[in-house]
Amino acid sequence: MKAGRALWVALTVLVLAYAAFHLRQHGNLGSWFPGCLFHRVTGLHCPGCGMTRATYAALHGNFGLAFRMNPVGVILLPIALGVLGIQIIGWVRGKRLNWFPETTPKLAWALAILVIVFWILRNIPCWPFTLLAPI
Amino acid sequence: MQWYYSKNGTQLGPVAQSELISKLASGEVSPSDLVWKDGMGDWIPASQVSELSVLRPPAPAPAGSVPAAPPYSPPVSPYAPPVAVTQEIPSYLWQSIVVTLLCCLPFGVAGIVFAAKVDTLKKAGDIVGAQVASANAKKWTMIGFIVGLVINLLAFGFSFLSAFMAQSQQ
Repeated sequence: MKAGRALWVALTVLVLAYAAFHLRQHGNLGSWFPGCLFHRVTGLHCPGCGMTRATYAALHGNFGLAFRMNPVGVILLPIALGVLGIQIIGWVRGKRLNWFPETTPKLAWALAILVIVFWILRNIPCWPFTLLAPI
Repeated sequence: MQWYYSKNGTQLGPVAQSELISKLASGEVSPSDLVWKDGMGDWIPASQVSELSVLRPPAPAPAGSVPAAPPYSPPVSPYAPPVAVTQEIPSYLWQSIVVTLLCCLPFGVAGIVFAAKVDTLKKAGDIVGAQVASANAKKWTMIGFIVGLVINLLAFGFSFLSAFMAQSQQ
């Protein structure tokens, strides 16, 4: 257990929790959430576009709308955050935890290709690819 | 950690440890070249630095040929024998996915691709390659994280400020 690391993690969790609370109460429209700058500059959707709206929907229990905003992100982000959470617990304790199997090359490449293909497809401006872009 | 190295009497660097390791792996820096980093008393050959030599793979045996006795046997160098690498080579896969999904910048995608390379190279036994890919994955994930954080904080501050100004004008 390392006190400095635990403090950092606690601070980060606190900030994230406040951001989630603020987002849930006020929504992202008209609030101070800046939105995707990649989208603002290029007009394209990045793999993460729609995640703020998806989080807002999910925080209100509307998982269907969350999925509609960013189908890949809504599935992938909780998994990634879960794995990272375990890694961070190990980091704070100063000892790696082997609670999950190591990623195989196949899985890693599948994820890389998934994200890139998703990025391309959601920018094709015709049905059914428009379903992948946030509304 | 920044390393300096010397080639033909010229001091070069600073370079990151991962970069020096890849230079050693590619032969750009030879094991007898002197290296130094802050905190070391004097310049010593790269082969004597445990941080650098642990990562060096065993010399590849020429495939398919029986090595004949070398006509000239080189002086015994004080190499640490290649240690079986059991150390972790982080791939930063999940970190780069989170950065990609939250920071909305394409740097994270580069991180994911390098992370996938780490796993492939690690499985193939290419420890140095995996180290280099790991360093690259870390680099791109950090760039995505920092750039995303700074830009979003700036945008946040800007919209906060303009909201504040609009309010005070009323």
